[in-house]
Amino acid sequence: MSAEALAKESLSRPSAQAWEAQRRRDKLLLQLRRAGVYALAILIAVWILFPILLIANMAFSTPQDVRAFPKSFFPNPISLDSINFFLSTEGIIRATGNSIFVALLAVVLSSLLAVPGGYAIARYVFPGRDAIRLVMLSVRAFPIVVLAVPLAVIFLQLGLFDQPFTLALMHTALTLPTTVLVISSVFASVPYEFEEAAQVFGCTPLQAFWQVVLPLALPGIAASAILTFVLSWNEVFAAILLTLSNRTLPAHILYNLDKSSDPFKFAAAFVMLVPSMIFIFFIRRYLFNMWGQINK
Amino acid sequence: MQRAKWTPYLLLLPSLIYLAIFFLYPMTQAFQLAFTREGQSLNLRAEAAADSAVTGNLALQTEVRVIERQQIDEVLPNGATRPIFWYYVSGTDANGSTVEGWVNQRSVFIENRRTSETARVTSGEAVREWTFDHLNRMLTDFRFGTAVSTTLLLMVLIIPAQFVLAIIMALVLQSQIRGSSLFLYIYAIPLGISDLVAGILWFAIFTQRGFLNSLLVSAGFLDLPFIFIQADHMAWMITIIVLAEIWRATSIVMVIVVSGLQAIPRDYLEAGEVFGAGLWQRLRYIILPLLKPSLQVALILRTILAFQVFAVVIAITGGDIVTVLSNETFRWYDPGRFNNPSVAAVYAGFIMIISLAISLFYMRAVRSQEESVKAA
Repeated sequence: MSAEALAKESLSRPSAQAWEAQRRRDKLLLQLRRAGVYALAILIAVWILFPILLIANMAFSTPQDVRAFPKSFFPNPISLDSINFFLSTEGIIRATGNSIFVALLAVVLSSLLAVPGGYAIARYVFPGRDAIRLVMLSVRAFPIVVLAVPLAVIFLQLGLFDQPFTLALMHTALTLPTTVLVISSVFASVPYEFEEAAQVFGCTPLQAFWQVVLPLALPGIAASAILTFVLSWNEVFAAILLTLSNRTLPAHILYNLDKSSDPFKFAAAFVMLVPSMIFIFFIRRYLFNMWGQINK
Repeated sequence: MQRAKWTPYLLLLPSLIYLAIFFLYPMTQAFQLAFTREGQSLNLRAEAAADSAVTGNLALQTEVRVIERQQIDEVLPNGATRPIFWYYVSGTDANGSTVEGWVNQRSVFIENRRTSETARVTSGEAVREWTFDHLNRMLTDFRFGTAVSTTLLLMVLIIPAQFVLAIIMALVLQSQIRGSSLFLYIYAIPLGISDLVAGILWFAIFTQRGFLNSLLVSAGFLDLPFIFIQADHMAWMITIIVLAEIWRATSIVMVIVVSGLQAIPRDYLEAGEVFGAGLWQRLRYIILPLLKPSLQVALILRTILAFQVFAVVIAITGGDIVTVLSNETFRWYDPGRFNNPSVAAVYAGFIMIISLAISLFYMRAVRSQEESVKAA
């Protein structure tokens, strides 16, 4: 109900019935608005989920059904033939292994580097702190394309070409600024008093960190590690430049895309999609905290 | 908060060193790749020996005058000897000054070793020399123009749509409907989806035997499938890329906008409501102005990412008819195609400069707008 309407009503001293009618009208309006919001929410959810359902449908159809036209919108019969065909194609298992190795190494390296760095930014006041934060903020959006070309040439000169661990080094560099900022926001959310209390009770600063702060920060650190894993698992430009015969899964698929059949492509998309969806599910609660903190 | 002298620097040092190695060093390497090339230049020696001091150097193909010659007998492993000539030559170097010195016969072409008065430089030591050749090669490549215009076109089409959709998604999530945590998860799913997968998903919908054609043909709208993805249908291919990118990359903007919304004090919105502001007015006069810093961050991030659009384009169009800057970078680098990292480095530098310029432009634009508001 608008303010003017309220004022008018109170002046004219409405009867109890008029009040009741007005209240009912307002309630209806509110319900309509809520229904509108729900409709919008569901519409957007369908927009996001529909392509995923279509690709899942393709992944669980037989290769014959995938090639058929017009296509059916439900798999009939449900079959793992397409996925099996994709997984048994030469090089796929190896590429998947490379992808997992690269992503895990990137997670370990970036966590090892970022935990002390993030702690320093969260807990200490020191000259240059803002400058360092600014550097991290600006290099976090640095274009992958720009770094990948010279790094590929450097690794080639060093005789380290085509080795998955070099790609992990590169992914670590790309995610490190974000990881430092995210982890510093995680540490900032652990009250300093806890650490002080631990030290009062006789812990050394290192013990206080190890036994009190780290366990409390662990879920947040795990969330940032998962984000790093997903970024590395999905990254394709640096992967395709830095590796040749030891390609990661997305690089391998992209490089052979023009020679691939539809059942292969769609099963590939589904297989790459599933881990990311699961990981995003686990870190959904942390997304806003992480981004909220590092965008200030 | 603690005050300490060295601890924080010590803790940050590994990260900073790592970033320096993997950001600064490649940048200098990229610059070198882009603006130098392998060349040869002949060193002139003070005496007729390969290890004597260098008195100057000459570019390849320089004509030189032979002033003096000296025959040295080289002993071969089998005990025989062969004559090797050294010439004292005079020529004009790259700077236009005359240089003189001894050269080995191997480095020059000479008609007659014993009598000729002139020679031509044919080989020398490897050097890196400055060049704009790679830059010229990029600028004159027939794909360069279309790559730039397509990248910019995609950016202009994608980013505004993403912002509108992201703000709508964020407002829906913030309206405290039931099941909002489920909606939040669904809206966040594309965050974890790679551009390659997104490209394949939308390819599956729009390909000749894809879902859209299946629907249109079975519903009787079309007799034969319509071929969206082909060279004659540029507009359709751009549309599909735009849809795929909006579908995939709006979530990141949404997350930033939601974090920005959460930072707006409830009081402001309630005050707006009390004074009778409708949704549109609240959006226009309260929410959007307070969201500006978040939107700016998202805009810069999205713009930089827009210059890197890559796998979506290849997955949907194959990357030959519709091409973008990052695809050209890869085409020049790829050992299976052009195999020229130098031109790829020029492309990379171009992408960096253009994304930096646009980010700075955004920041300046926002600041000058603020200043004019203050002045008014």
